[in-house]
Amino acid sequence: MTATSPHVTRVGSGNRIRRALTSPGGARLTSYVALLGAWFLLAMIEERVPSPPAVAEFLWIELTGGSHGGVLKGEWVEHILVTMERFGLGLLIALVSGVALGIIIGSSRYFYALLNDTLLVFLALPAVIWAFITVIWFGIGWRAPVWTVVLAGAPFVAVNVSHGVQAIGSDLRLMSDSFGVPLAKRIRHLILPAVTGYIFAGFRFAVIIGWNGVLLAEWFGAAEGVGWRTRYWYDANRYQGFVGWILLFIVIIVALDRLVLTPLQRRAFRWRDLGSEAIEFQEALTEETLLPSDEHRS
Amino acid sequence: MTDTTAQPDGELQAVRSATSQRRWRTGAVVLGWVGFIVIWELLSRIIGEVLLPGAFKVGGEMWDIVRSGLFVEHFLASIGKVALGFVWAVLFGAPIGFLMGRSRYWKAFFKDTVLVAGSIPGLAYAVMALVIFGISLWGPVLSVALISMPYIAINVAEGLEGVDRKFLQMSQAYGRKPRDVYRHVLIPAILPFVFAGVRVSFAISWKVEQLTEVFGSNKGVGFQIRSAFQRFSVTEVLAWVLLFIAFMLLVERVILVRAERRLFRWRTGGQD
Repeated sequence: MTATSPHVTRVGSGNRIRRALTSPGGARLTSYVALLGAWFLLAMIEERVPSPPAVAEFLWIELTGGSHGGVLKGEWVEHILVTMERFGLGLLIALVSGVALGIIIGSSRYFYALLNDTLLVFLALPAVIWAFITVIWFGIGWRAPVWTVVLAGAPFVAVNVSHGVQAIGSDLRLMSDSFGVPLAKRIRHLILPAVTGYIFAGFRFAVIIGWNGVLLAEWFGAAEGVGWRTRYWYDANRYQGFVGWILLFIVIIVALDRLVLTPLQRRAFRWRDLGSEAIEFQEALTEETLLPSDEHRS
Repeated sequence: MTDTTAQPDGELQAVRSATSQRRWRTGAVVLGWVGFIVIWELLSRIIGEVLLPGAFKVGGEMWDIVRSGLFVEHFLASIGKVALGFVWAVLFGAPIGFLMGRSRYWKAFFKDTVLVAGSIPGLAYAVMALVIFGISLWGPVLSVALISMPYIAINVAEGLEGVDRKFLQMSQAYGRKPRDVYRHVLIPAILPFVFAGVRVSFAISWKVEQLTEVFGSNKGVGFQIRSAFQRFSVTEVLAWVLLFIAFMLLVERVILVRAERRLFRWRTGGQD
């Protein structure tokens, strides 16, 4: 990707500082400083936006369990744990049901024609709608967040898996037909190995979309958890707490995505021709990732 | 289960079987919709009208909303914010993508931000916009701009890297001024990618726009959905969101795709 592109290369004049600053690492560092600077500036202009030191101070108290003044104590472990439990359970159900549905839809043209439109409607429904509806259904508690993750995430798994099943060459399917391979064997040896990469790609979307969903459901209908805690500080008009928790939940999902999911996915696709960078770009930003795969389990 | 019921017994039969297959599939699509509505109605009967209103009840509500003129009013408000957000996204995203595609320094500079921005939950954008702007028109506009900017930047960067280097070398060989190169080679080359970025991020951006309206707005479809939730009316929540989805899919699938095809027909040599 970089080798063929019309890049402008800047050759330093022997000045080491300048060369360090214009190196890729220097550029990244500069961009972080610039973002922080922009935040400071925004905090100065807009009164409601808390400044970085205020947020850092809040996070310090919250994470060390110190006092926010009065009896209000910093707490975070229990909120993150309870949210992770809900998130994990929801993802598990979404994964299983999404894979089953995807195999059904992908395995025959008629099932595809029958169910694809319904799937499109479910794909288009925003997570907040599921959060609202599940909160009305189940009230305050753990069930609304779990079901929001399931309902928002499963369609993304299903659509990817169905594309994966469809991508299996018809020659292989025909051969299984001619040799009378039983369905169970066919699923085990033909379909599952071929779609694992697609399952993975779909799962990754389910993670990103489900995270948004679990937070929304907790925001509107929970009495503990990351989403609830974020709202708590918002309602208390303590914007530094609110922004601090937003940062925390961004850090959690980005770490999960960058440190766990992307490396696993890259490993799964390492046989492919694309450079890792190109995968990152594509994977990070396309709605439906449709890639073939080898035998890697999510 | 298989796709090859057609026997190679002659063209006529092949055509006939293709037609019957098409008919079968249309039938399956219709059956799919009927089945969807029937199952929805059945579930509604089992669970109860309050928790899950049936398809016809929601349909009636949708009709009422459209007839009262409320939908047009709030839909226009919402889509106006989406459009305005895209204007900002293109104004900032295209130059960022341009820099990323042309210089290694700027690529390294923006890469982390752009990649991370892709996995930030929509909730974060929505509530940040709320903190910055309070209840105003600009909150949703900002969140649309922020969420679609990375897509446009990435698309433009990739598009630029795909520009045929021969054009650039030729321009150089013929001593074209940089300004001419930009105007006649680079900018026409990236426009389709800007558009593709808009189209790709459209589905995500209207959801975030609507989410921002849920959190802080006094007009728009998201505001209506929030009000319906506060009345615990599943019927109204579903009616508003289904209407919104239907029209947004229409914009996305029909208007944007057609416009793209038409604007950039020259690229494919007018094949379609």
